[in-house]
Amino acid sequence: MASKLTLISEGAEAKIYVLEALGTKLIVKHRISKPYRHPLFDKLFRERRTKTEAKILAKLYLSGLPVPAPLFVDPFNSIIIMEYILGTKLSDTIEYLRNKTISTIASRLGEYVGKMHSLKIYHGDLTLANILYNETTNTIYIIDFGLAGHSTDIEEYAIDVHLIERSINALAPEITELFMKNFWNGYARTYSEKYREIKDRVNEIKLRGRYIEERLKRRIEYERYR
Amino acid sequence: MTFILGIESTSHTFGIGIVEKNDSNIRILANVYSKYVPAKGGIHPREASLHHAREAPQVLKSALNKAGIHIRDIDGIAVALGPGLGPCLRIGATLARFLASYYSKPLIPVNHAVAHIEIGKFVAGFTDPLVIYVSGGNTLIAIQRKKRYRVLGETLDIPLGNLLDTFAREVGLAPPYVVNGKHQVDICSDWGSNFIDLPYTVKGIDLSFSGLLTASLKHAEKARSKKELGDVCLSLRETAFDMIVEVAERALLLTGKKEVLLVGGVASNTALRQKLEAMATLHGAKYKGTSPDVSGDNGAMIAYTGLLLFLHGITIEPEKAFIKQRWRLDEVDLPWLPN
Repeated sequence: MASKLTLISEGAEAKIYVLEALGTKLIVKHRISKPYRHPLFDKLFRERRTKTEAKILAKLYLSGLPVPAPLFVDPFNSIIIMEYILGTKLSDTIEYLRNKTISTIASRLGEYVGKMHSLKIYHGDLTLANILYNETTNTIYIIDFGLAGHSTDIEEYAIDVHLIERSINALAPEITELFMKNFWNGYARTYSEKYREIKDRVNEIKLRGRYIEERLKRRIEYERYR
Repeated sequence: MTFILGIESTSHTFGIGIVEKNDSNIRILANVYSKYVPAKGGIHPREASLHHAREAPQVLKSALNKAGIHIRDIDGIAVALGPGLGPCLRIGATLARFLASYYSKPLIPVNHAVAHIEIGKFVAGFTDPLVIYVSGGNTLIAIQRKKRYRVLGETLDIPLGNLLDTFAREVGLAPPYVVNGKHQVDICSDWGSNFIDLPYTVKGIDLSFSGLLTASLKHAEKARSKKELGDVCLSLRETAFDMIVEVAERALLLTGKKEVLLVGGVASNTALRQKLEAMATLHGAKYKGTSPDVSGDNGAMIAYTGLLLFLHGITIEPEKAFIKQRWRLDEVDLPWLPN
């Protein structure tokens, strides 16, 4: 049977192809070697991330989360073949969406991320570029789990939320508040037990950046009560 | 014609720069500085500030001589009010307030981080770059959007320059931190050839270097020869730089920028430059670094940024010109940036 391989995107660490075979469309993700990386490190790196991504995708897919189903994995050549998903990156479309749509997306994303965290899995690179949005079906998918992992440490969960907030703040600063309010609402619905703790941690992470005035104020207050 | 004098004293460098703007272009007329080099350990804020106070008159005179103008011809005094070390900032601020009041010149408040980026853009001829800002106090990735620089990602603990300096100091290689323009960690990397697997911590576009530092120091403790220490240095440098390049690459693809600009004190590092250039080329983006005379802390960058602010009418009363030890890059509204 005839099959066709078309390059559709070049991500930061992988080339994404569409494979048309067996009468259907599939995604081939190939982690490529980088000229700037130390050769010994490069190999280790690609192998590790391919394995992680495949494992996590399998677990999330079987738990009913909207992620592409992994179908075939070759860690030695750093290749994953997975389900084809139709959609555009939220980073490309967010500016053109109406506030009502944004609210729905944010609250649904909150639910998914909450569910993912309740499975003790973190994403590690949760930015708008890693969320696909399909306008016709009004659905979102989470992709790219190369930096993901298993952890019971709420720090990792809080980092996920911090990353999504920072990504919105950089690309569409005016909707940050709206987005995050809905995100947290959704998140609390699926992961209520540690919701408060994580919210506090996210605020703490924000203060870890360099030269933040609030951090100084907090220390002064602390000294007053000592 | 407009002349602006800029004063830099945020950390180890006391510098004065003078820029000129005529109808068609902007030129740097003088860029004089004196650097505080600790005899042992790292920067001692008080010692550094004493150095600045001692050197200030001489640096000022020599900058004016070099530019060939009198202080009366200056149209505005720009000063870096932050972020930085308090005692050091106060020296520059005091001099600036004095000059502005005594000679009745407008005083212009400049953010040190903004200045690093603006001078980088000016020298490179870039208009809308992805900015990678690496120094002893900052490690961040930024873009310009809605009249400000927006931070896409940054270090969650120590900055890159701090990582390299602390490592070099703890293993006994520094001070001096830099010999003939080459950092001690780079010199030591040439002794090694093996790669050790060290903690690689990238979270989205954010980074963390503290685990890498601890692990490297542990390995260095076990090193029994020059070559073994070299292996640690090499692995530390490769891991840290690969992390920076990876987040830069991710940011580049996220934003689709066509220019990549490296600024800050660590921008003069050859190994980092090569990696970033290779990455930018891979994605068809133009890469420019910043030459050593304007990548480290200097007065010219303050003067140049002061000029941009002055042309947009941003000045401050001397009695209100307080220093700000903490003053983030993304807090400053800059009228010349696109919306």
